[in-house]
Amino acid sequence: MIKYVNAIGDTCPLPVVKTKNAIKELGGAGVVETKVDNEIAVQNLGKMAQQKGYGFKSEKTGDAEYTVTLEVGEAAAATGVEDIAEVCAVPGHKKNIVVAINSAHMGSGHDELGTVLMKGFIFALTQQDVLPTTVLFYNGGATLTVEGSASLEDLKNLAAQGVEILTCGTCLNYYNLTDKLAVGEVTNMYSIVEKLTQADLVVKP
Amino acid sequence: MRQKKPALVVTFAATSDAMAMERYCTEHNLPGRLIPIPREIHAGCGLAWKTEPEEKEAFTKSLEEAGIRWEDMAVLELWG
Repeated sequence: MIKYVNAIGDTCPLPVVKTKNAIKELGGAGVVETKVDNEIAVQNLGKMAQQKGYGFKSEKTGDAEYTVTLEVGEAAAATGVEDIAEVCAVPGHKKNIVVAINSAHMGSGHDELGTVLMKGFIFALTQQDVLPTTVLFYNGGATLTVEGSASLEDLKNLAAQGVEILTCGTCLNYYNLTDKLAVGEVTNMYSIVEKLTQADLVVKP
Repeated sequence: MRQKKPALVVTFAATSDAMAMERYCTEHNLPGRLIPIPREIHAGCGLAWKTEPEEKEAFTKSLEEAGIRWEDMAVLELWG
């Protein structure tokens, strides 16, 4: 049995969803041929084929048309399609990681230890293969981006790698540190909220 | 361009030893800094002292004179 799916014009995860439904309708072994209009959809269907052990073939059949053929064997058909992840993986997409630092100390307990831990946390950030997009500093965290901060070297290093370092202006003003900011830019609550709400992942030490 | 560089990493048996090291080095203007211990090595305490590899000899001598306890020293490649 062969089923045809037209997913031209559909954005992720629709091509995967429609193909999944067609495999379900096969009710056993068979072939599903899906037409899509972008390479990412082809890759997503390829991932699904790999995950389930389907035969996979793709061909560029037009200017913006690709035909993906999935061959579902008896054994693969028996495992069903319910567990197929409808993840829209966009290759090369950099995860928007925002680190929010709201204190000069990491965790609560002894401040001396908390200071050492925070210094260590910021150093460890510089050692990650994937760096965050933005590091936000507010309240007590604002004391870390100013002259004399033990983390300054690490933060300048992050800034040099393209990490956005933003410190709350109200906080700098409150601590009389406005003219002491030594790395990154001053920001306000609207930008802080935007950065946090638009992040893929928010990390708070 | 982001590059890894060799660093001398000094490990400790206890957190208090690592913190004593930081105090001593700050007071005596010895180069280096406290870092979380890199994953490649193991020690009793999660903190380590990072400095330039060429400091090893002078550093060892200063620590011995000061009676600072450390566990081990290793040279590792860390992001610069």
